[in-house]
Amino acid sequence: MTTPLPSIPASPDGTPPSRELAFEGVGVDLAGVTVLRDVTVTLPQRRIAVIGSNGSGKSTFARLLGGLVAPSRGRVAVHGHDLVAERKQVLRMVGSVFSNPDAQIIMPTVAEDVAFSLRRRGLTREEVARRVTATLERYGLAERADAPAHSLSGGQKQLLALSAVLITEPALIVADEPTALLDGRNSRLISALLLDEIPQQLVLVTHDLELAARCDVAVRFEDGRLFEVDDPAPVIARYRRDLG
Amino acid sequence: MKFDVRDLARIAVFAAIIAVLGIPGAIPIFGNAVPITAQTLGIMLAGAVLGAWRGAAAVVVFLLLVLVGLPLLSGGHGGAGVFVGPSAGYLFGWILGAFVTGAIVHAGHRRPTWWRTALGCVVGGILVIYAVGVPVQAFVTHLPLGATALSSTVFLPGDLIKAVVATLITMGLWRAYPRAFGDQVRVTPAAKVDATVR
Amino acid sequence: MIALYRPGTSPLHRLPAGPKLIALMLLAIAITVFASNAWYIAGASALVVAGYFAAGFGPLEILRQLWTLRWIVAVTLITQVIFLPLPVAATNTGRVVTVVMLATLVTLTTRTSALLDAVERGLGPLRRIGVDPARVGLVMAMTITVVPVIAGYAASIRDAQRARGAKPRLRILVMPLLVMSLKHADELGDALVARGAE
Ligand SMILES: Nc1ncnc2c1ncn2[C@@H]1O[C@H](COP(=O)(O)OP(=O)(O)OP(=O)(O)O)[C@@H](O)[C@H]1O
Ligand SMILES: [Mg+2]
Repeated sequence: MTTPLPSIPASPDGTPPSRELAFEGVGVDLAGVTVLRDVTVTLPQRRIAVIGSNGSGKSTFARLLGGLVAPSRGRVAVHGHDLVAERKQVLRMVGSVFSNPDAQIIMPTVAEDVAFSLRRRGLTREEVARRVTATLERYGLAERADAPAHSLSGGQKQLLALSAVLITEPALIVADEPTALLDGRNSRLISALLLDEIPQQLVLVTHDLELAARCDVAVRFEDGRLFEVDDPAPVIARYRRDLG
Repeated sequence: MKFDVRDLARIAVFAAIIAVLGIPGAIPIFGNAVPITAQTLGIMLAGAVLGAWRGAAAVVVFLLLVLVGLPLLSGGHGGAGVFVGPSAGYLFGWILGAFVTGAIVHAGHRRPTWWRTALGCVVGGILVIYAVGVPVQAFVTHLPLGATALSSTVFLPGDLIKAVVATLITMGLWRAYPRAFGDQVRVTPAAKVDATVR
Repeated sequence: MIALYRPGTSPLHRLPAGPKLIALMLLAIAITVFASNAWYIAGASALVVAGYFAAGFGPLEILRQLWTLRWIVAVTLITQVIFLPLPVAATNTGRVVTVVMLATLVTLTTRTSALLDAVERGLGPLRRIGVDPARVGLVMAMTITVVPVIAGYAASIRDAQRARGAKPRLRILVMPLLVMSLKHADELGDALVARGAE
């Protein structure tokens, strides 16, 4: 049930850059076990929901795009850039958000942590400070700029993680169950931000089918295989039926 | 020795574990009656789990944070004072101690065994630390070397208990979470195929 | 985590951190080696007390710092009187206290961040043997970030075991602490890679 893949689009001069995720016969082996196989699909939509049972390979798919796992077979292209051949560039284009807000904080204070994302980008100290202030203001964290990052609430920490990703202006956001550990209110806040406010392409791995329904396309994995790609409504309906 | 970013995360986390083992009441040892802590346990574990280089690096990072004035040594001690006091040599010995523990436990990139882990903890975690600590203590306090060595044996029973505990924990961790030992120990031949980008 | 630094504007506070640390180490060694009779030690400690006053600290602060040294004093004095005549033991203990108090003065008058920078700069020459000072700085900052997380794990493990009526014991506390912490390290490693720290 996979969409056939045309050749991976190059972006020769003149043509607008593609906003497509292209997978061609992709497989991933971890510790000698194949956890993802035969993934062939092209995803030009802005909001891509990824659903499926536990252990079906969703996180592996997300980690692939985030550069945390290398494909064992096949080709992956992010907006026309090959994941393996142009790894450095792709890593800069992709921002990853995970579920555990605690494990994404690297530096001691809120402002330092956001600034960390801009390391080694050849920016002046002033430029970094300016961008950090603007980002923290935009996401409502300005008052906590100098607070220890771990003193934030879970929702604020996730907002911080997201700010630290968005400050680099990536082209693609990969979020692996970003609301799994949040309460209802914070979960709505983060999902509204991801689904409705940012302009970036979004890959949203989630068990929250309401969220998946708000996306432009849904991808379902089962047993390490791409099971179905379609409009969210039918994919979710079938998934609900299969869950029983 | 080149560390990748995942190593850096492990080194930072282990330095923090050593710090937490020194928080009074965090980990009760002998009912908190004696100003002895589990921090040397942390030194043995750093070497046994992370291996020689990363284990020693974790100790160095921990000691640098103590030097810059964070009260991370047991009982909330820290600052430059501890590096010129009687126990300065033991602190420096921790670095070499973690290294030797790791070198013995991980010798030949093999999986840890009971006897090698126990040997590593006793040699690296006790003998090496005393070998550096005692002469420095004698130098600082002007007490003759022999007398200093003799007096330091009061701490030996406690350290031996810690070596036993460190061995039990290391072997338990090997069964519960072998990934903790990183890629310098071959978990299984298949683990080499692990496609995780390092 | 409260650093040991006490803000102030005295000349001692304004001295740059690196030279202050180097001067301290030289002075500490000089006192340790040469101050072998009571008069020298009295002179040195008078200088140290003058230093505390010059930095704006009163007698109360001096007493508070001395109180934190009570274990060092006790252990040093007791081991000394077993082997040496009382006056010699007292002299030696006095010298140790003087040196440690001097070092503490540096810690009290120097910002943690200034010392961190000094350490990073001080590591510069080690570039030749492959040490990257910026990476050391990064790991130190990460450790500071992670200490409260690991301390939180320790507290939650202790509480969970208390709730089950188990008496907290070293091994059964540290084992899950290591598993949780090292999993955290792996996730942090992911975050580092994802955020371009390779
Ligand atoms: N590092 C690894 N080594 C070996 N196997 C792994 C590794 N990481 C994941 N796996 C296995 O790969 C399979 C897919 O895992 P993945 O995390 O992608 O699933 P998931 O769809 O995200 O599940 P969940 O909904 O529970 O998050 C699982 O069977 C898992 O056990
Ligand atoms: Mg998952």
